[in-house]
Amino acid sequence: MAKIDLSNISHSYNPNDTNPTYALNPFSMTWENGKRYAILGPSGCGKTTMLNIVSGLVKPSKGNILFDEKDVTNLITEERNIAQVFQFPVIYSTMSVYDNLAFPLKCRDFSKEKIDERVKSVSDTLRLSSFLNLPARKLTADQKQLISLGRGLVREDVAGVLMDEPLTVIDPDLKFRLRRNLKEINEQYKTTLVYVTHDQNEAMTFADNIIVMDQGEIVQVGLPKDLFERPKTTFVGYFIGSPAMNIFESEVSSEYSVKINNIEIKTNSNLTKLKDKNVKLGIRSEFINVVEKEGENTIKASLTRVEDFGNFKLLTANMDNFVIKSKVDRELPISIGDINLYIPPEKCCVYENEKLI
Amino acid sequence: MEKLYTFLKYTFITLWTVFIVAPFLWAVSTSFKDFQSVNSKVTYIPWLDFEPTLEGWRVLVKSPARGGVDIVEPYFNSIFVTCTASLVSIVLGTLAAYALSRFTFKAGFVRNNDITFFFISQRIMPPIVLSIPFFIFLSTIGLLDSLLGLVVVYIVLLMPIAVWIMVDFFNRVPKELDETALIDGCNPYQAFYKVVLPNSIPGLIVAGMFCIIFGWIDFFFAFILTFTEVQLLPVKVVALNSSITPWWSLSASALISVAPLIIVAFVVERYLSKGNLSGALK
Repeated sequence: MAKIDLSNISHSYNPNDTNPTYALNPFSMTWENGKRYAILGPSGCGKTTMLNIVSGLVKPSKGNILFDEKDVTNLITEERNIAQVFQFPVIYSTMSVYDNLAFPLKCRDFSKEKIDERVKSVSDTLRLSSFLNLPARKLTADQKQLISLGRGLVREDVAGVLMDEPLTVIDPDLKFRLRRNLKEINEQYKTTLVYVTHDQNEAMTFADNIIVMDQGEIVQVGLPKDLFERPKTTFVGYFIGSPAMNIFESEVSSEYSVKINNIEIKTNSNLTKLKDKNVKLGIRSEFINVVEKEGENTIKASLTRVEDFGNFKLLTANMDNFVIKSKVDRELPISIGDINLYIPPEKCCVYENEKLI
Repeated sequence: MEKLYTFLKYTFITLWTVFIVAPFLWAVSTSFKDFQSVNSKVTYIPWLDFEPTLEGWRVLVKSPARGGVDIVEPYFNSIFVTCTASLVSIVLGTLAAYALSRFTFKAGFVRNNDITFFFISQRIMPPIVLSIPFFIFLSTIGLLDSLLGLVVVYIVLLMPIAVWIMVDFFNRVPKELDETALIDGCNPYQAFYKVVLPNSIPGLIVAGMFCIIFGWIDFFFAFILTFTEVQLLPVKVVALNSSITPWWSLSASALISVAPLIIVAFVVERYLSKGNLSGALK
C-alpha cells in the first residue's frame, strides 16, 4: 500500500540508436494510495511497458519511480514488494494450489500461521478453497488465472497490485464477479490496484480513474464520466464509447458556432480565436435526439438503418457525406426516411488539431 | 479404408518389432552356446538343438590369469565416467543454457544464437580432428590413461548436447514465469532454482538421457586416450574378439552393455508418459 509517483518517465527499447523510438513518451503521474486505476488503450500503446517499469521488470530510459516518496528506480523487482498479474496464467506447475498461493509469503519468510490465514482468506475470495491440495497444473485455464490473481492478492502489504489484462481467459460470468471482488478487496485492504485493459467496459466499471493511452502517450486521465462526455482528443472520442463519438469536419462560423455542410450548430465553446478555421465537432450518439420539427441546432438527415439492441435503438442517418449515429429509446416509433436530429450545444466538443478546445 | 489403415499399421509395428527384437533374441541364444553349437550347424532351441552353457558369461568375470577377460572393472569405469561427465555437463550446460535463453549477450558481432551454435559446432567436427589436441592436452596435464582425464574429455563432448537441448527447452518456458517469481520475492538465483528448474525437469531428463547414451557408447576417445591403466567397456568388448570369434562371450557382453541404456529408457519413458511434460504453463 503506497502512493506511486512516476516522475518524467520515458522508455525506449533502443536508447542507443541514433533515432531511438519511444515506447513511452515522457510523462508524470501519481497513483494515490488505495485507489483503483485502469490503463486503457489499443494494443501496443505502451500499457504493458508502463506496468513493467513500475514493477521493475523494465528499467525506464529516463525518469524516476517513487513509492511513498522513496526512490525505487534502481531497486530490483524483488525489493519493491509489488504484485503483478499477467495476461496469461502463470503458475508454478510443480507445486500445489496452496503452495502457489503461499509462495510470495514463503519467499518473504512469513510465519506459518500468517501464511495459513492469508491463503485461506484469498482462496475463499477466489473460490479456490476446495482445490488447495491439488497440483496446480491439474486446474483449468481460468482457475489457473485465479491462482495468479491470488498470488497477487495474498500479500497485504504490497505497494500495489498491477494487473495486465488479467481476465482475458476468464469466462464472462466469472469476470463480472471477479471485478466486483477486486473492488471489494480494494475497499477492504486499501490496496492500490492498477488494471491494464483494452476493454472500455471493464475499465469503466472497475476504476476510479482511467488513464487512456495511445502510441506511447497518455492522452487523458480522468473519471469515466469525463472521458465519456469531454474526451480530450478525437482518439479518446473514438476509443471510448460504443458506438464511437460522432465527429464532423466543420468550420468555425461565429463566436460560438460551427458550420457543418452550411448548417449552423451552436456550441458552448468560445471559438473567437478560431474564426474561419477548420475544426472538428464531436458529439456522442447518446446525446443526439430525434425531434419533429426543424429548428435551431437540428440537422435534417435521411435515416438509413435502425438497429434494435434490446435496451436501445441505434439509428444511422446520412446527410450528404456525413454519417450520424444516434442512440434512442427503444420505444420511440421510428421509420426509415427523413428525420430531424437535435444536437444539444452543451454536449458539443470542438476539436482543433484533434485536441479539445 | 479404416481397416486397411489398421492392417498396415499393425503390419508395420510387427515388422519393426521383429527388426528390433530379433538381434536381441539372437544374442541371448548365442550367449548360451558353446563353440560346437555356434560353428557346426544352425541351432535354435536350447536343450533340444543345443546344450546351453554359461561359459560365454563366465569368461567375462574371470581374471585374464584364469583364461577370462574381466569386464567388471571396465564396466564400473564406464558407469563412473559416464555418470560423472553427464552430471557435470547437465549442471554446467543447464546454467549456460539458462543464461543464453534469458540474457542478451553481445561481443562484437557475436550474439546469443552464435554462442549456442558455437556449442553445437563442437559436435559437428569429426571426432578425429579433436583426438590429437586432446591427446596432447591430457598428456601435458598428466591425465592420459586416467579416469579423471576421460571425465574431462567426456564433459567437453557431452556439454554441447546439454546446452543445445536446454536452450531450446528454456526458450519454450515463458519469461513471465521468471518474472512472476521475481515479483513474488525471489532473487534471480532463487527464481532459477525454485521455479524455473522444477518446471524444467522433463528437459533435464531428456538432456540427461542423451548425455548418458552418448557417453556410454563412445568408443573412439576411450580407445585413443587410454592404454593399460584404465579401460572403458566399449574398448574392452572390442578387445574380446580374436582370431576365432568368440560369438558367445561377445553376445553376452553386448547384452550387458546395452542393459543400462534399456533400464534408462524404461525409467524415462515411464516418467515422461506421466504427463509431466504437459500442462506446465497454460
